[in-house]
Amino acid sequence: MPTISLTVNGQPVTEEVDAPTLLVKFLREQLKLTGTHVGCDTSQCGACVVHVNGEAVKSCTMLAVQADGAEILTIESLANNGTLHPMQQAFHDKHALQCGFCTPGMVMASIALVRDNPDPSEDDVRQGLEGNLCRCTGYQNIVQAVRAGAKNMRD
Amino acid sequence: MTTVEIGQALKRSEDFRLLTGKGKYVDDISLDGEARAVILRSPHAHARIVEIDRAAAAALDGVHLIVTGQDWLAEGFGPIPTRSAVNKNKDGSPLSEPPRHCLAIDRVRYVGEAVALIVADSEKIARDALELIDVTYEELPAVTDPRKALADGAPRIWDDIPNNLCVDFELGDEAATKAAFEAADHVISLDVENNRVTGVPIEPRGLVGTYDAETDTYLLYNSTQNVHAIRKTIAEDIFKISADKIHHIAPDVGGGFGAKNSVYPEPALVLYAAKQLQRPVKWIAERSESFLADTHGRNQSSKVQLALDSDGTFRALRTDTVGDIGAYCWTIGPFTPTGGSARTQGGPYAFETMYYSSRAVFTNTMPMDPYRGAGRPEGTYQIERIVEAAASQLGLDPVALRRKNLIPAEKLPMKSPMGLDIDSGNFPEVFERTLALSDRDGYSERVAASKAAGRARGFAIAPYLECTGGGPKEFAGIQFAADGTITLSVGSQGTGTGHETAMPQILSAKLGLPVEKIRYRQGDTDATPLGGGHGGSRCLEVGGGAVVRATEAVIDKAKAIAAHLLNSQADDISFADGQFSDAKTNQSTPMEEVVRASFETGRLPQDMEPGCLDSDAIFERGIISCPNGCHAAEVEVDPETGAVAVANYWIVDDFGTIINPLLADGQVMGGVAQGIGQALYEDAVYDEDTGQLLAGSLMDYALPRADLIPNMVIRYYEDAPTAKNPLGVKGAGEAGCCPAPPVIVNAILNALKPYGVTDLSMPVTSEKVWQAIHDAKP
Amino acid sequence: MYDFRYHRPATISEAVDLFRQCDDGQYLAGGQTLIPVMKQRLASPSDLIDLARIDELKDISATESAITIGGMTTHAAIAASSEVRSRLAALADLASGIGDPHVRNRGTLGGSIANNDPTADYPAAIVALGATIITDRRRIEGDAFFTNIFETALEEGELIRAVEFPIPERAAYAKFPNPASRYAIAGVMVSKFADIVRVAVTGAGPFVFRVPDMEAALARDFSPEAIEKLQIPAGDLNADLHASPAYRAHLVSILAKRAVQAAKE
Repeated sequence: MPTISLTVNGQPVTEEVDAPTLLVKFLREQLKLTGTHVGCDTSQCGACVVHVNGEAVKSCTMLAVQADGAEILTIESLANNGTLHPMQQAFHDKHALQCGFCTPGMVMASIALVRDNPDPSEDDVRQGLEGNLCRCTGYQNIVQAVRAGAKNMRD
Repeated sequence: MTTVEIGQALKRSEDFRLLTGKGKYVDDISLDGEARAVILRSPHAHARIVEIDRAAAAALDGVHLIVTGQDWLAEGFGPIPTRSAVNKNKDGSPLSEPPRHCLAIDRVRYVGEAVALIVADSEKIARDALELIDVTYEELPAVTDPRKALADGAPRIWDDIPNNLCVDFELGDEAATKAAFEAADHVISLDVENNRVTGVPIEPRGLVGTYDAETDTYLLYNSTQNVHAIRKTIAEDIFKISADKIHHIAPDVGGGFGAKNSVYPEPALVLYAAKQLQRPVKWIAERSESFLADTHGRNQSSKVQLALDSDGTFRALRTDTVGDIGAYCWTIGPFTPTGGSARTQGGPYAFETMYYSSRAVFTNTMPMDPYRGAGRPEGTYQIERIVEAAASQLGLDPVALRRKNLIPAEKLPMKSPMGLDIDSGNFPEVFERTLALSDRDGYSERVAASKAAGRARGFAIAPYLECTGGGPKEFAGIQFAADGTITLSVGSQGTGTGHETAMPQILSAKLGLPVEKIRYRQGDTDATPLGGGHGGSRCLEVGGGAVVRATEAVIDKAKAIAAHLLNSQADDISFADGQFSDAKTNQSTPMEEVVRASFETGRLPQDMEPGCLDSDAIFERGIISCPNGCHAAEVEVDPETGAVAVANYWIVDDFGTIINPLLADGQVMGGVAQGIGQALYEDAVYDEDTGQLLAGSLMDYALPRADLIPNMVIRYYEDAPTAKNPLGVKGAGEAGCCPAPPVIVNAILNALKPYGVTDLSMPVTSEKVWQAIHDAKP
Repeated sequence: MYDFRYHRPATISEAVDLFRQCDDGQYLAGGQTLIPVMKQRLASPSDLIDLARIDELKDISATESAITIGGMTTHAAIAASSEVRSRLAALADLASGIGDPHVRNRGTLGGSIANNDPTADYPAAIVALGATIITDRRRIEGDAFFTNIFETALEEGELIRAVEFPIPERAAYAKFPNPASRYAIAGVMVSKFADIVRVAVTGAGPFVFRVPDMEAALARDFSPEAIEKLQIPAGDLNADLHASPAYRAHLVSILAKRAVQAAKE
């Protein structure tokens, strides 16, 4: 069984994994980081988005062994001692989540989006979230939240 | 401390958990020694099961249980009954209800039907075993189109059910309607199709079940909308045990939209396996499996006829529907195309008479059950399409035609010809406000701008009237603790809809107690003695009503304590704004103080004991409420490619009292997005020849994405609360997806009028638009 | 997913050697197609040879007349490359419209073209730009690379090192996405070089194809009007839930015109 060493949410981790283990399964089942979700099996929904070496990635479409040596950030890394990340805070303020299942992926995707584009237009946000499906909100409040979160992150 | 008001945009208390990855969904629950279950599903639309050879699978290391339909029958387990409120034919005979077992017995009737349960040490081993099970099928002719299924000579899905007819149904006055049609100046007819869609909550269904041999009890974690009713069916109808043998918990539920309201086979299978193996068993659906095995909705084909006079006055409405219900009567499947679509026929328009008839029909497809709105969106689509068609065919202004026929405010309360009790609202006012909101003055400029960009712009407006549903009875319990925390337990259930915020908000507002001290419990059969769960936009109406009743019970008891504290008579004590006051002595004490006193024997009246404020209440709704409103939209069509974009969307909704506008907005936006999805993108379509589900994954079933849904401008009409429940609310959860499909389709037809296009069917794909323009060309 | 052995070579020669030693080896590029296919148990290689750590596969380099892009360059890197953006914007635009941002962060040029999905975007660029596929053993002309649906001219174990894109005078890509998957229902890349105009169509047929009639018309007059009346035959085009052959044929005409218009701007 391959052994991988990586950094997850700032913590060094060394684990044995089966080669076919998906990164999302590794995070959820081996590391018990269940905030990253699985909503589909065709890489469409984006509920599983995490950051790998700073880039937003669908963790259901990546093997854990491919993440050997990588720095991974999941939704669990964002809040600091009970203080929400500015993007999480914006999602709360704008009522940008309902059932919350797509939310971890949506927030991780939004932070990556804003890092590449610190002051996105509404259109930028709508295009930039094309890899994340939400069935509850109709997206409007998410779009507002991402723009507000971008402002929070700039300030 | 914070007390909050009704109507306040209180931000959600559940958000912190869900935003930080600390939500607890079923798949996040892992129990020691857990085994994994998978389901072998039918690859055929209709086939006889000749033989199931499980030897190779059973021999695989780590495989612990394989169960087939015959094994299931041998255990003596019962079928899952339908709870359809429409259960009789027009002639009074019972509907045809074939037995629905948890696993197919000798014959499969739709692609995806459960054929065998496999339980193994891991999901991988279970899937390896699944591939080793060798099922010999003998294929049978299949039919997936309900109109064809009704025809003589069509393949029979059930040998003893002629014409595949489950139930026929009628409502209204057929003779009076016929007479009105004969007397009317014009009759407009239109075939209206409501396409087959499915809920696609982003969290797939999932289960974890355990069995405790010592107490002979089960524990089931289930991503469901309705713990009590489903438990009752699993226990009493399937296992034939008492319901209290199962503790049923819905943890955080990642969306439902009706698709998690049904009694599915998997929970009983998982519990059975947990008992057999004496270890926890988990089952999590894969998304592609969800498309096959989550219930579908809509799929009604209707002939709609409108009788009207030359001046545009509506005389009568007649609708005849063929409704697909799939291969079995699912939980309430036969109700949707019958009673579900009948009640709100005609929308908010004044009709002297109406007649609705329908047939619920079996097909070789995944069974149907409620999908957000369950019949009312179909009805709204029918009436709004025929009204638009009437305006178009008779050369009338569609806005003026609607305005002319809306039920005047002074006619309320009234009973509609369908028997709907319409008690409150102001449909003309809501209509005018929507028009005013939608910037008609700027329209011609926007049309010109679209045209300059090579696009055709269209506008439509759709007033709607729907009604709530679901279980009429609900429980709420309030428990106080000495440390000041309050536990509120309600039998209705949120699936992301914000009940954890809204219900405490009601309690806080009614009792003047700090909202952050309130713990909320729901979705747990141990938390409430009864509960109707989630569905039919019922939760604030009956769940919120029960919370109000429970707070009233608290106030009654608290008055005695307050009187004791203030040296007054209980009769002299009044309660307002969180304060108990005696007007005679001009003394007062806050509720919080009374709650504190309720835990101190020395401060209580002699006949009261610590903890005495705990109160339960059951609220039972007499009559369902009638949410209504009006939506308007503008679309842009690219006539070259046929692509449609929704450009603007305006809403005025009447949900009676708005408890929390933030949450109400969320419900409306989500409902509209699903309506737009049905109108433009979503189609759970089966191949007619093979019976295979063509849109079987998110690669083919198009869910709306962020760049496809417009911003919505939302206003509420709050001047007409209903008296049917204590809060004056009219359910908000399903309203959005009622007017959205017709307003989008009518706006497209409006845009394409210059091209000669007069009809389009949902989903209005770019190809259909292109084809319609192409076909209409002279 | 079935079990497999995982390898992570550091050089091209190591990768190719590994492939030779495996029963049923498979190169793993970005995995954005291969991993979903394996998850569905539709592929079961005995060995996966991960190319992600072979640095020589990730270069973008340029000469006066061409840009050469390593096979393991991600769509996102191509879309963001200033070299590509400034000199071959049509390719950057195409790359920025593949899948979604997360897929673009993992998916690669080489992985995409080796798979030759009929609805993938890159094949249109390879053929329309007259690109050359450079492998571990030879150079393959773009026109000869895509041989059938999901089939290419690559030999067993042959590894895409890079793709060399000649720089056209003008080029643009127009795509009509499938609303569910966002793959191309049809996509057309048009390019104009000093001596040739190319029109390549993806999504519409079993694999990428050129439209000689349009190329000839555009060679005479590089304007949307020049191909106004040209329709491709629907006969051999794809039919699925989202588009009929006739609609695809129509879209190809519209998209070609739009691509020409965009290329002129």
